[in-house]
Amino acid sequence: MAKTILVVDDSSSLRQVVGIALKGAGYEVLEACDGKDALGKLNGKKVHLIISDVNMPNMDGIAFVKEVKKIAEHKFVPVIMLTTESQEAKKQEGQAAGAKAWVVKPFQPAQMLTAVSKLVMP
Amino acid sequence: MNLDAALQTYIVESRELLLSMEDSLLLLEREPDNADAINATFRAIHTIKGSAGLFGLDDIVRFTHVVESLLDRARDREIAVDDRLTALLLECGDHIGHLVGTAAGEQPADPAALEARQAALLERLGQFSPAGVPELAQSAAPPLEREAELSRDGGGPVGNGSWHISLRFGRDVLRNGMDPASFLRYLATLGDVVSTTTLCDALPPAAEMDPESCYLGFEIELKSEASKETIEGAFEFVREDCLIRILPPNSKIEEFLQLIADLPESNERLGEILVASGAVTQAELQHALRTQQASGDGKARVGEILVDEHVVQETVVQAALDKQKQIKDKRAAESRFVRVDAAKLEELINQVGEMVIAGASATLLARRTADGALHEAMSLMGRLVEEIRDSALSLRMVEIGETFHRFQRVVRDVSRELGKEIALEISGGETELDKTVVEKITDPLTHLVRNSIDHGIEPAAVRAARGKPAGGTIRLNAYHESGSIVIEVADDGGGLDRDRILRKAIEKGIVAPTQALADQEICNLVFEPGFSTADQVTNLSGRGVGMDVVRRNIEALRGSIDLDSRPGEGTTFRIRLPLTLAIIDGFLIEVGDASLVVPLDMVVECLELAETDKRAAATRHYLNLRGDVLPFIRLRELLVLEGEPARRENVVVVQFGGQKAGLVVDQLLGEFQTVIKPLGQVFRHLRGISGSTILGSGEVALILDVPALVQQAASRESEQTASVTQSVRPGMATTAIL
Repeated sequence: MAKTILVVDDSSSLRQVVGIALKGAGYEVLEACDGKDALGKLNGKKVHLIISDVNMPNMDGIAFVKEVKKIAEHKFVPVIMLTTESQEAKKQEGQAAGAKAWVVKPFQPAQMLTAVSKLVMP
Repeated sequence: MNLDAALQTYIVESRELLLSMEDSLLLLEREPDNADAINATFRAIHTIKGSAGLFGLDDIVRFTHVVESLLDRARDREIAVDDRLTALLLECGDHIGHLVGTAAGEQPADPAALEARQAALLERLGQFSPAGVPELAQSAAPPLEREAELSRDGGGPVGNGSWHISLRFGRDVLRNGMDPASFLRYLATLGDVVSTTTLCDALPPAAEMDPESCYLGFEIELKSEASKETIEGAFEFVREDCLIRILPPNSKIEEFLQLIADLPESNERLGEILVASGAVTQAELQHALRTQQASGDGKARVGEILVDEHVVQETVVQAALDKQKQIKDKRAAESRFVRVDAAKLEELINQVGEMVIAGASATLLARRTADGALHEAMSLMGRLVEEIRDSALSLRMVEIGETFHRFQRVVRDVSRELGKEIALEISGGETELDKTVVEKITDPLTHLVRNSIDHGIEPAAVRAARGKPAGGTIRLNAYHESGSIVIEVADDGGGLDRDRILRKAIEKGIVAPTQALADQEICNLVFEPGFSTADQVTNLSGRGVGMDVVRRNIEALRGSIDLDSRPGEGTTFRIRLPLTLAIIDGFLIEVGDASLVVPLDMVVECLELAETDKRAAATRHYLNLRGDVLPFIRLRELLVLEGEPARRENVVVVQFGGQKAGLVVDQLLGEFQTVIKPLGQVFRHLRGISGSTILGSGEVALILDVPALVQQAASRESEQTASVTQSVRPGMATTAIL
């Protein structure tokens, strides 16, 4: 059964491109536009990986990861944070919250796939 | 859904974001402290930039990156939000809108204006930046993969050995959402996992076990062509929580050693060398450096730490250490030299020359006084001037070795062209001579070497027939001999063919058919103008530029050339050159009221002209020097000086190129530092005089051209001997006269 990845970003175009790449590699993809939306999407679903932006309206990536770690069925799901090179502090914060993997924005779809495949094979 | 559709989404989305950014900025104009508005602005730019990267819209990424950095600092209150800033950001927003429009396929009305505006905006953005005008960030290209670089020997998979990876996962790996198995699966995509040993020794008793903790460790053998960097990259996300050791296969060591040896000599740090070769990754180096710092006293070496931690083999570290030493040595050697403009040296030597003359003049004045202290001071001064002169001249001295080594290539190329097998042997390369001489000797030397290759060394078949090794040898040698440098170009070829030389010389009218010539004289005919003996004119030599040109060039340097040839054994050309063209030690003599200088190196001895010789000198021009015939020249006669000879005359015995001659002079004045001033063009053809110098008194003294005088004396002697032999009846030995 294909592995499911939740992509959380407020940019719908980014979600689309990442989605195209991941689906092409054989993953199932769920999309959410911010942390709040993502928590709703997670409800009752089994996901294998979460890719989340840091900067989002409503609920940002860090708060979202902290919430995810509180949910028993999702606490072991690996999280890839999307950071920018100027956000070293955010990266530290994200790691402290439990998001150990990261990809630096802007990235090429292939870079994203490599990072994903280190954590979850399709 | 496809990428085109996604791009359309991006464009619509960006335009929406730009609109919302505009709203936020307008809000900021009214409420500069509104943090939400700043955040919203930042987020808009950040999102536009992040997505632009996915579509490869580098123009947008680069520009938004600058804006984003500025906003980041505004958000952190590093810069104040004021009207100026919001106005600028509004314009930036408009500009991004244009860029997005271009990405959407709209043709900009005026591309040049667009660029100009971007430049103007960057300039203004730069005013907010601490580092001035920001450079447009290079597009965030993915880090270069290094596999290609490392698998360059192209010899298929690594035959023996594999990477050894030791993994000890951290306790929290599972809690962090990382699945150890997923890394192993990923590793399998990089190569062939030969074996995996799971280590359970860290497992606690079942009762104490925390199911959320990870206790596992692995020892993995991986066959892979990937670089260490790539393999380490597999564990990128767990590296900080885990213990990872990646030891390269033994087969890689050779490769690392080669890479280390080939590295450009720019890095001086051991770690940098190891990282550059790929034997150690940046992360491993950082870790080792931290370990080194933690050890406190700083005594532990990075290399030792890396070996101790099984990051890299000792041989690799050793190679890197060697390389480091090599680089340091080279740096040190470089720092031992100072590059100086040759013109400056020239000036220094000229000034030293003037100082020598001034010093001589001061010494002369001092001698007129009876002041002992002054004499002493002047003699000390004189010695120092002499030392300074020598040091100044030695600055211009260079080893001839470099010039010699250039001929390796000449010999190789020319001998291949002619299909001969010729080796070049070099000796005496450390012999020094004046740089100006070296520059001028290269051409004549090249001609001699080519000549030896072309005419000297016989074809292999001829050599074999003569019982010589098929491969010929040319030797370049240099040594110092009595104030001159001697450069030899020798070959082990067939030697000069006397008969052919003579035939050719007669043919060309250089010598009369009846003329009887000594063996050496026949050989020297090759230096005559217009002489060429090669049966076949090759394109190497025999183009009319013959040995006569070589001789002329060398004589222009106050040098001489002779040759020594043995049939069947080879020919040696010997060039003699003065060590320097500027200042020499001279021997001052006086004839009548003229002062003359003989280069001291050529003076062998001085003796008084005995009464018996004086009387005999009226009829002959040689005297008996301890049983040897010494031809002599009366300088008074030669230079047509007026006045009666002094009552007691002296003979200065000079030597050049193995021949001796006596110069009869009135007085010996002793050693004298001579600054050579070349004669003007008018006097160029004067025989017997090579230059002039200025004495301490301000008088001019002529420098005698000893080689020419020796030659003249010798030829006069042989003429005379010949005439004596002819006029004297057979049986009456010439020695009887002596």
